[in-house]
Order: sequence, then structure tokens, then C-alpha cells
Amino acid sequence: MDDRTRQLIYQLIDGAISPEDFDRLQDAMEADEEVRQEYLLAVHLNESLQEIAETEWDSAANVEEFPGGHSSISITKNENKPAHLLSSPANWQVPQWSLAAMILFLVGGIAYWFGQQNAEPSLLSVMDQETEQGVEPLISGHASLRRSLALRWTAGTPSYREGDVLQAGKLQFEAGVAEIDLFCGATLIVEGPAHLVLESDWSVQVIEGRLRASVPPAARGFVIKAVGSEIVDLGTEFALEVGEEDARLEVVDGEVELRGGDHDGQLLTTGQRQWLKGTPKASERIRSLSTLADVQSRRASAQQARLAEWKAYYQILRNDERLIAYYPIADSRIERVVPNAAATGGDFDGHLVGSVNRTEGRFELESTGLSFERPGARVRTRIDGEFQAFTFSCWVKIDGLDHRYNALFMGDGYENGEPHWQIRDDGRLMFSIMVDDTKDVRYFNAIDQKVVKDAGLHRVYLTEQMWDLSKSGQWFHLAAVYDPANRRVLQYVNGEKISQEPIRDDFYVSTLRIGPAEIGNWGQPFRKSPWFAVRNLNGTIDELAIFNAALLPQEIHSLFEKGKPLGY
Amino acid sequence: MDQEQIPPRKSAAHEQEAKYGEFVSLLARHDQSIRRFIRLLLPTREGVDDVMQETALECWNQFAQFTPRNPEDIAGDFIRWACVIARYKTLSWQRDRARDRLVFRESIVERLAQTSMQELDQREQERTAIQGCLQKLSSEERRLVLSVHSPGESIARIAEESGRQARRLYSQVNYLRKVLLECVRHQVTQEIGHG
Repeated sequence: MDDRTRQLIYQLIDGAISPEDFDRLQDAMEADEEVRQEYLLAVHLNESLQEIAETEWDSAANVEEFPGGHSSISITKNENKPAHLLSSPANWQVPQWSLAAMILFLVGGIAYWFGQQNAEPSLLSVMDQETEQGVEPLISGHASLRRSLALRWTAGTPSYREGDVLQAGKLQFEAGVAEIDLFCGATLIVEGPAHLVLESDWSVQVIEGRLRASVPPAARGFVIKAVGSEIVDLGTEFALEVGEEDARLEVVDGEVELRGGDHDGQLLTTGQRQWLKGTPKASERIRSLSTLADVQSRRASAQQARLAEWKAYYQILRNDERLIAYYPIADSRIERVVPNAAATGGDFDGHLVGSVNRTEGRFELESTGLSFERPGARVRTRIDGEFQAFTFSCWVKIDGLDHRYNALFMGDGYENGEPHWQIRDDGRLMFSIMVDDTKDVRYFNAIDQKVVKDAGLHRVYLTEQMWDLSKSGQWFHLAAVYDPANRRVLQYVNGEKISQEPIRDDFYVSTLRIGPAEIGNWGQPFRKSPWFAVRNLNGTIDELAIFNAALLPQEIHSLFEKGKPLGY
Repeated sequence: MDQEQIPPRKSAAHEQEAKYGEFVSLLARHDQSIRRFIRLLLPTREGVDDVMQETALECWNQFAQFTPRNPEDIAGDFIRWACVIARYKTLSWQRDRARDRLVFRESIVERLAQTSMQELDQREQERTAIQGCLQKLSSEERRLVLSVHSPGESIARIAEESGRQARRLYSQVNYLRKVLLECVRHQVTQEIGHG
């Protein structure tokens, strides 16, 4: 399409088109599909930019001159708009809720929506900040949940997993033990039932619960608020118990100052106790509160128990006749081989290539995982045969999504019927099967500035965003089910279905294959050029199973339940 | 034994409420897609709100007749169904105002609707691609291209304010738009091509 027509489209978009030009543009649109497509994309782009601009810029904030000084445009910028408004597809709907609200009002039922909001912490905690050097991601929060033991979060309050960044607000659980690292350096071991309010990196309010606080010198000044008093830690360890009837404090080691309330100004030193509420009872010490070492050793034995349960399960699972290949990496110790534990045997073993590191698996020190953080790291395998369906299941810890596409399991040549399973840089899972590698897709290549051919007809099934930087280092169970018989593709995270899409006729494949393939990377050793796409996963995989069947939702759930490490 | 289960008896009000809940949930989740579809059929932003409102009410009135063809893609079916209503509402809105406003010929609206319906699935991918492409611009370029869209701003106004730089500014913005457009096109086709 010529530049003149393109210019007309922009004149229309900008409201600067003459009636004659508008006619000219309509003639072109009527005659040419390409012009219509260009118009649609241009308006779509324009509207999207508008939404982004509205979110990002705020006329009330700082006014600066446009850099370079070649105009007098006033630019205002609001610095703290969360980037999830930019990066997650959900945000595109935000300004439009007014319409739904209108309809709701019409028929009456506001409560319906509020009923739909859940208390789970969502992917709201990451944003990007524009700096001189570019965009820097930020994470919001004041502490992290380092370890936990049998935590049962109170319904209707935020629930967190090990490794989660904790946001300001309620931390409430009915049972279990949580080890919380505040960003100031203080550590709390809290035993349930407990009800805390996290206020900042430096301050926590205790409404109910028993806890032990360790405050290293760097965290001096850390404050716990309870029963109208502030407990200011002067570099110590102390225990606190707040119940309905009474509340008391005991200094295990060091010094603590009380501020406000009845005990304002009081200093307590090692071994001293103070009742903050209720009647003091003689010489009663705070009951055996857990120490860090306790939590650690209880956790280690609970983790060992989990590992033992999983080992028992995998001995059963490996005999599942539907398995094409099964790599229970957590249990493998052989140097450069990842044995296939399924009945299909050694032919389908995986082989470590390049700098794959054996590292801690999901059962921590008790198990191993494979880390693919270096670009050359890969596990190669070759799985011949024809299959009727696929279920892929794996445990993965993602440290970062460094590339546009980050590989989980990839068929080498991506020929007909071969799978690609990967994670896109925006945290969405992608699953696809090559439908027809003889068909060419033509598209404009911005790098070469020309239309190029690309091989293959296929469809990428994408999920919603399931990962962002705040989830870095956490283990996830992922599964993808390709079910040609029922014409659908399902994807799961931690045993829960997050996406289901129909297989349209033009993307239907009945005979599936794998052939040469890789775990954690996409090497294409059969390619005809020295260049290869960088898709290694910056993360760790510790179990991968491939079934020649479409597993049922309850089976996927069971894979997650039976395989989950402590803290899920 | 009779294996057939007797469905629990529901009151009409209860059913209505359930249907309503279903509708609101579908509309709230997808009104952005429907709104965008309407915007694409109109030459300017003017009228989008009106048409959207009429479309939403019409959808609710006819919701009893909405039967998803593919139970596994209810969302997609709903959007396609609502877009058919939106196309009709756009045409009638235009007809009422054809005399005093800039409107597309009906043949154009029909064609745009047709092309747009085929590309409904693609819009979401394009949205994601736009984000990515925007990130690839330098921060100055990004600022310029977005400043045009900041509330209360327009190319015409910025051009007026910047006086002698108007033409240069306009062509710079247009150049960036072209770059973004090619980038989006590239990303979307690459995704189709490289999954």
C-alpha cells in the first residue's frame, strides 16, 4: 500500500481529513482488503496507545519540557502507575467497567460482582519504572514468607506461599508456623492461630498470636505494635504472645523498649518479662515457642516425608501404560543422563548437553533438579512413534523469563504433529502443534524490511499470565493437554485449569509425533545455519512426564497433589 | 434403575437471576472487545459510547436467544454474537446522523465488519504486541508517540503550540506510528510462525 493512503488513514484518525480525502480513502477501502486491514490495525493501535497514555500520563503531575527542546510540548508523567495496567491483558478492561456497572444498576445486582472478587493476592505486585537507562521492574511488598509449616490461611484473607512477597495488610492464619523475613532484616517466627497486620518494612501490628522476633543490628528500630504499646527492638530476640484475655512480652536476649500505653518508656533486658494486658501469673514462661532451628528441622523432616510419599507415587506412575516418557529428575543421580523411568525404557533417555547444572530440586536438598540458566544448556532426547494425544506435565521453578520464548519441551524441527511447549516473556504459557509445515505463512519482516516466508501452519494456544517476577524462585506444576479426539487444548497450573480452547478444523492434527526434542531449550541441531534461537529456560525443571493420552482434570490434579513439595 | 436425574426445580426468578449473572459476567469481561469492534466501524471516536450502550441493552434483551454453538468457546461465541448486534446498531446510529457528521458509507461499514469479524481472535495478540513494541522505542520516542494521546492533547494542538516545528513533529509521530505498526504486524505473524 502506498504512503499516500496510509497518510489518509492517519489524517482520519487525527480528525484532520478533508471531505475529498475522506471520499478518496473510502474508495480505497472499498476496493482493497489490504487498505481495510491497514485501517483496522492503525485504529486499533491508535486506540490502544490512547489507553496506555491515559493510564500512564497524568495531567496533574510534573510538567517537563520535551527532551531535545525542539518543541514546547508539555509532558506530564505519573511515576507510580503500576505497570500491570500496561502489561496484563486484564487491564484493557479496566476503564470499561463503567458500562458493566451501568447494566448492573439497571437490573440491580452489584453484590454479584463484589462476590466475584477473591482475596488471593494476584499479579498486581510488579510494575516497571522508567529510569534514565530504561525500564526497571519494581516489586511491591515489605517482607517475604521464607518458610512455612502446615499453614492454613483464614478464609477471606490473602493467602501466600513460601517465597511470596508479602504485601502490606492482613496476615491471618488459623494454624501452622510462618517464618517471615521483613525487608529491614528482622525475622519473625509466628505460630497460628495468628492475626498480624504488616505495615511497612519496619513495622508489624500483632492483634493475636505467638511469635518470636529476631532483630539483627541492621534492623535495630524495628517496631511491633500490640495492645496499644510499641515494642521497639534495640537489637535482640524476644517472644510475644497476644491473646484475647492477656498479652505478654519476654526478652530472650538483648534489650527492648516499650513506648506508649501503660508501659511507656520501660526498658526490658534479657530474661525480663512484662504483661501488657491481663493479670500476671507467677513465673509462667511463654510456652515453648519455635526457634529458627526448630522450624528448620521440623520442615526438613516434613519435606523428607513429602519426598518419600512422592517416591512411592512415582513407582506407581512409571507403570502407567499411557506414558511415552517419564523423567523423574528429582531422584536421578547419574552424571550426564536423565533416565526415562517409563516402560518405554532407555531409548528415550535424556542426555545432558552443555552447561546444565544439577541443582536443588523441589524437595530442596533432598532432591535434584536441572537448571538451564546458560544459553547452551539443554537435555536432548529422541522419541519416535506416532501418538493420538499428548499430556505434558512438569515441575518447574522459573527464575526469570529472559527471552521472548522460554522453552519447556520443544520438538526439534517442528514438523507435522510435533509439539512446542514454552513460556512467553509476559508470563503466559504457550502450547502449539505443527499442523502443516508445507504451508507458508507470509509476513512483513521489520528487520529485513520485506515480506518473508515462514514455514508452517499452526496455532499457538496461549494462557493468561501465570507468572511475574514476584513469583521468581517458586515451584509450579504445569500441564498441557492436547486432545484431538475431543478437539480441545487444556492448560493447567498447580492442578487447576487456567485455559481451555477448541481446536478449530484448520488446526486439527490427528497423528502426533515428537522425534528429536529438547527439554529446557530449543537447539535445532538439524538447522542449516550456525545461528540458533536463544530459548533456554532461566530456571529449574525437576520432573517431566509425557503421556500418549489426554489426562482428565482430576488426573492432572492428582499429579500436582501427589508431587507437590512442602508448603503447597 | 432409572438413571435419569430429575433436574432440581427452579423458580423463574431464580433462572432469570442466573441468566442475568451469566450475561453480566460475559459482558463485563468482553465489553472492551465489543467496544473496540464498534470503534473500528466508525470513522471517529464519536458515537462509540452511544452505540456501545445500545448494543449492550440489545444484547441483554436478546440474551435469552443466545445459544453458544461451541460450548468450549462461549466467550468467543458471545463476542461474535454481540458484534453482529453491534454492527447493526452502528449502521442504524450512522443512518440517523448521516446528514451532519462524518460517517462511512454503509458498504464500507459492512466490509470493515466482515474483515474485523475474521480477525477478532487476533486483536488480543495485537494488544500484547503493542505493549512489547512500545517498549522497544527509546524513551523519547515513546514519550512523543504517547504525548499525542495524553488527555487533552491532540496532534493539531501540539502542532499549533510548537509552531514552526509542526510539520516535523507530525512526520516524526507518523514515522513512529509506522514503526509500531510494522512491529506489531511482525510480532503477531511471528507468533503464528514461530510457536
